Amino acid sequence: MPDQPRLTPQEQADLVAFLDGELTGDARRAVETKISLDPAVRAEAATLKKTWDLLDFLPKPAPSPSFTNRTMEKLAPIRARAALRSPRPFLVGAGWAAALLAAVAAGYAGVGLLARPPANPDQDLTRDLRVIENKRYYDRVDDLDYLKQLNQADLFGDDAGS
Amino acid sequence: MASTGETSAQLALRDPDVRLMLRVRADEVGAFEELVEQFQHRLIAVMHHLVGDATEAEDLAQEVFLRVYRARHKYRPRSKFSTWLFTIANNLALNSLRSRQRKPTTPLAVHDSGPLGPRPQEQLVRDHHSGPTQKVQREELAAVIQEALAGLNERQRAAVVLNKFEDMKAVKSLLSRARMNLRAALSGYVYMNGQPVPEAEDETDE
Repeated sequence: MPDQPRLTPQEQADLVAFLDGELTGDARRAVETKISLDPAVRAEAATLKKTWDLLDFLPKPAPSPSFTNRTMEKLAPIRARAALRSPRPFLVGAGWAAALLAAVAAGYAGVGLLARPPANPDQDLTRDLRVIENKRYYDRVDDLDYLKQLNQADLFGDDAGS
Repeated sequence: MASTGETSAQLALRDPDVRLMLRVRADEVGAFEELVEQFQHRLIAVMHHLVGDATEAEDLAQEVFLRVYRARHKYRPRSKFSTWLFTIANNLALNSLRSRQRKPTTPLAVHDSGPLGPRPQEQLVRDHHSGPTQKVQREELAAVIQEALAGLNERQRAAVVLNKFEDMKAVKSLLSRARMNLRAALSGYVYMNGQPVPEAEDETDE
């Protein structure tokens, strides 16, 4: 009877991976060496493989004959709910039409704003002409009250100019 | 992301299952039914190995298909379709087993086919040339293997079943511990030719 190999969990995992053909390179060669040198490891590998092959004896239960029909019947309410949730084609069309109209209206308004002629600068000059002509006087006074005082006739007397 | 797109396209071209699922995603008439027909045998077998009950296995398989349908528009062909399908199956089976643990019920015998009764296809590996004694031996062996499988914890069982029957990758250490435990449970049945049986350590991953 081969001695029970004292494999670490890592060595066990490597042995299983080796049996599944998942080890490559140095890891694979290391396990191959252990198997060839240690009869206990060799026996362990053989037992693991035989145990794995035993699973092929498990029964393969087949679906009941009505399985597909029953599954499709369960699907029906899901499809019905999905159909209710999905938008109807004519609503989708109406939505697109409304979006198109809104875009056209926005474009028209934008073009109107951009195309408006700029204000005439001569109009501004005409409106402010009086202020411009008297600007040199306005510069000399601090505020409007002082200007009004200057305008009073009795400030310098009636003969001031005589 | 161009390389991902190329990979997906290549996968779709190579894997007919992916092409079928893409037809389901496109809501092609009849595609989903075809998918159910195509995968129900594998799915129910795996579910049966995972939960140990034929009726529950069918119910869960149905739920897997319905989830696939609900998620069809989110499906992206990044890997094998079966990997996606059996990942959903595994999650559902684990949830069901955990729910069963919270609400203890009387478990069915591992060979029970449920209320639908035994089905011819549910028999063991059929060998028309073997006699009744060999058939009984095979049935007994199958029952022992099912019990050994049922003795693993949920994660180990899922790792074994999906790796063995669907070639899905599992965490190396988890699969290793599961196989060591199976080896211990089945050691008396592996060496039936008089060869001595090596002792095995009883380990769990928890």
